[in-house]
Amino acid sequence: MAEDNTTALNEPYRPYGADIKETRPYSPCRAACPAHTDVQAYVGLIAQGKYTEAFEVITSVNPIASVCSMICHHPCEQACRRCGVDEPLAVRHLKRFAIERSQDYRRAKRKLTKKTRGKSIGVIGSGPSGLTAANDLASLGYDVTIYERHPVLGGMLASAIPPYRLPREMLNEDIDDVISKGINVKTGFEIGRDRKLEDLMKDHDGIVIAIGLSQSRSLNIPGVEGDGVLLAIPFLEDVAFDRKPDLGKKVLVIGGGNVAMDVARTARRMGVKDVSMVCLESAEEMPAWKWEIDEAIEEGVTIDNRWGPKAVKRENGKVQGLEVVKVNSVFDDKGRFNPSFDDKTTKIIEADTIIITIGQMSNMSFLKDGPVKLDERGLIQWDRDTHMSSASNVFVAGEVVTGPGSAIAAVASGHRAAMALHLYLQGEEIKGNLPEHEKDKIDQLPGKVVDLLDREQRQEIKHLPPEVRCDTFTHFEIGYDEAEALKEAGRCRGCGGGAVVDPNRCMACLTCLRVCPYGAPKVFAVSEIRPEYCQACGLCAPECPGQAISMVSYDVNEIRSSMPDIIGKRDPKRSDPVIAAFLCTHHTGVGGFNVPGNIRTIPVHCISRVDVLDVLSAFSNGADGVAVIRCADGSCKYKGVAKRVSSRIGRARELLSMLGIENERTEMLTASSTNGNRYSSVCTEFSEKIKELGLRSS
Amino acid sequence: MIVGSQKPIDEIWDMVKEFKRVIVFGCNTCVAICHAGGSKEAETIASMLKMRSSNEGVDMDVSSTSVMRHCEPEYFDEVIDELRSYDLVLSTACGVGVNFLSERIGNIPVYPGINTSFFGAVPEAGVFEELCAGCGDCILHMTGGICPVARCSKTLMNGPCGGTNEGKCEIGKDVDCAWYLIVQRMKDLGTIEKLSEVIPPRSWSTSRDGGPRRVSVEHIREYEESAEQKTEAGGSK
Repeated sequence: MAEDNTTALNEPYRPYGADIKETRPYSPCRAACPAHTDVQAYVGLIAQGKYTEAFEVITSVNPIASVCSMICHHPCEQACRRCGVDEPLAVRHLKRFAIERSQDYRRAKRKLTKKTRGKSIGVIGSGPSGLTAANDLASLGYDVTIYERHPVLGGMLASAIPPYRLPREMLNEDIDDVISKGINVKTGFEIGRDRKLEDLMKDHDGIVIAIGLSQSRSLNIPGVEGDGVLLAIPFLEDVAFDRKPDLGKKVLVIGGGNVAMDVARTARRMGVKDVSMVCLESAEEMPAWKWEIDEAIEEGVTIDNRWGPKAVKRENGKVQGLEVVKVNSVFDDKGRFNPSFDDKTTKIIEADTIIITIGQMSNMSFLKDGPVKLDERGLIQWDRDTHMSSASNVFVAGEVVTGPGSAIAAVASGHRAAMALHLYLQGEEIKGNLPEHEKDKIDQLPGKVVDLLDREQRQEIKHLPPEVRCDTFTHFEIGYDEAEALKEAGRCRGCGGGAVVDPNRCMACLTCLRVCPYGAPKVFAVSEIRPEYCQACGLCAPECPGQAISMVSYDVNEIRSSMPDIIGKRDPKRSDPVIAAFLCTHHTGVGGFNVPGNIRTIPVHCISRVDVLDVLSAFSNGADGVAVIRCADGSCKYKGVAKRVSSRIGRARELLSMLGIENERTEMLTASSTNGNRYSSVCTEFSEKIKELGLRSS
Repeated sequence: MIVGSQKPIDEIWDMVKEFKRVIVFGCNTCVAICHAGGSKEAETIASMLKMRSSNEGVDMDVSSTSVMRHCEPEYFDEVIDELRSYDLVLSTACGVGVNFLSERIGNIPVYPGINTSFFGAVPEAGVFEELCAGCGDCILHMTGGICPVARCSKTLMNGPCGGTNEGKCEIGKDVDCAWYLIVQRMKDLGTIEKLSEVIPPRSWSTSRDGGPRRVSVEHIREYEESAEQKTEAGGSK
């Protein structure tokens, strides 16, 4: 493998508009993501068919992108402004699509990073936070070694998340990306057992502890000790490493969180037909994600809400069931976890095996009496502002210090810890220089904008039917095909990717105010286009007489500056006319245009961005005709586009006629179908018309 | 604001065709608002000229740029060196801008890229109406806020004339009779009796008849002096 001369973290991929986005409120999806993934950017790139660019945007902040494309709890979707219109974008599923389409690309780009710092780092743990910290530090030029107690990397991702949710080959793609930077890997290596932390601290210039929460909590109830009662994490580990325990015919899972769902659904896949769950919370209070609960129920798991475990019932040592007591309430007046029980109401739930899934903790035994101090609750003492432990070169990341959370939150923590350690080794101030989670975000859609938006159904995420998926650990969710992905990506309203006014060029002429269908501009001394209103349609920019409006998500000059390449060489003896065709990709995506070579297609997110200057440029570069192909009435994603662009065509014709170019050579056409073929036939019909009119000689 | 309108490309071509390097220089205030000569239209004219020169087989280098205003030197200071690298500046500012730049640019011609039409308002998007003639002696308080100098075809001071016809001027059905409007407006305001006073013949020396005009605001001119002092204090700068 060749060594790269650059350090990737210093030069991450920057999508168009990345810099200006840093100066403005984030889109709510991005603000909600702990790693601040630029969702708007990558969804927009998917909509343009730029899948590897989308992959770059995703992985520039997330080294476990494949994992997140499968299991992320997608706070971006919960924050999506489409929630106020119909349903959120299927962001996670679009991420999966972009990653699946970039498989060859990502493998080809793996390379070693140069170890330029002359310093080595030990990362303990290879879950989301450990992998992220290792990735960042390797990218920064450190010699990184990962220590993992399991035989494979990935932490809980590899050892506890069941493969029906996270196929291991997806996890391994992420791991390979990280490791290929030249990271040393020591698996099956347990700190404390194989080497003391103090010695490891001497081996390395800095340590990151990212051991997660890999131990299950148990219950202190009668009968809990002995066969037939399992703890969640050891159980999931046994399954992951193919040491499948015998569960009997009836399994009862204690707990109502996401791990409990994993346990119950794993038990179903081990052939147990009768899997039930019991938890303190009501259905609404359960901490598991609603979709996890729904999927478990689909798979035949039953849930007994509002019962608390009292005693494991055994006969001759063999588990018979669980005695439970009715719960009055789980939380007290102040919302704190403080369950109260109705001791008089009890029942026994029969079970052959009981699996306890009530929470996790870390194994801190290797820190006992060492340089990294624990607090009175046995947790690592750390400074949230610096990620430092009590030992100056030992940093901490992930759930071991933050407590239980999501994979993507652990990624964010890993980034912070890596940056903290880097700053420390550079002798720079850490506090105040780490990435922050809280960012200003664009407000929710104003009601009058919601009223203007069309309802567009979210593309369904298909699952294997429950009767099939319960027989196997195969991943149960089916990825989007290209048509579905493009359609879904087209639903994005482009929050934060819209219009921006350059106050040095704006003369407050009110043109944008008059042209905007959504009431986004407010004009005082200069215009300000309010991002909560702006739908990023791009209608205003080509109208601005001062060329003061740019778009965050694309270069408004790009089409005309690349027109020489778009038109290419024109054969003076050609028999077919050269046609520049602007095609809205909203309905057909970018894959649907199969047109003859004489038709130079220019895919656009909407014809709203087509400028009079773009049309002039096409003719200037040798086009015989220009077609602007719009969506049919009522199907445009935006408002007022056809009328406005039609006026622009009129203006272009007026100018072109002064140069002797006939009006018929510039047309706005309609493709009334979602079928790419219709777009093609509209283009070819136009091409025939231009052929009859004759080819331009100059 | 000053309203301009675009010239036909043939006329512009005749002006510029002898030059090898041409820059179309837009003005981003009045003439941008009326979509005649701002940055956008300057680029449009440049694009048209490129196509025309290519059609004519003429080797011409055409580009465009713009600044906020052409009528104050500070605005074009930053581009003046660039402008001087061309053979011709085609200014799409109003005539004020063309004159003003001509005086300052040195031995490079500055030609008008648009026609300067009038002082006007924007009653609706894309429509511009002349409402003031800049005559230098305003009497709008006597005419209900409607200017007979700009809006009466004959510039009558005591109208209307016999050519008024159901509110329209005899020169065309689309032209309002300004004096009809004045009478209606003053009736509405309850000041119609003011019209019984004859407006005496006025002196046109404040208008074009008095030759080129100049306004000097002395207390503002003092800025200029203090700026000079600053420069002196700055030594060799």
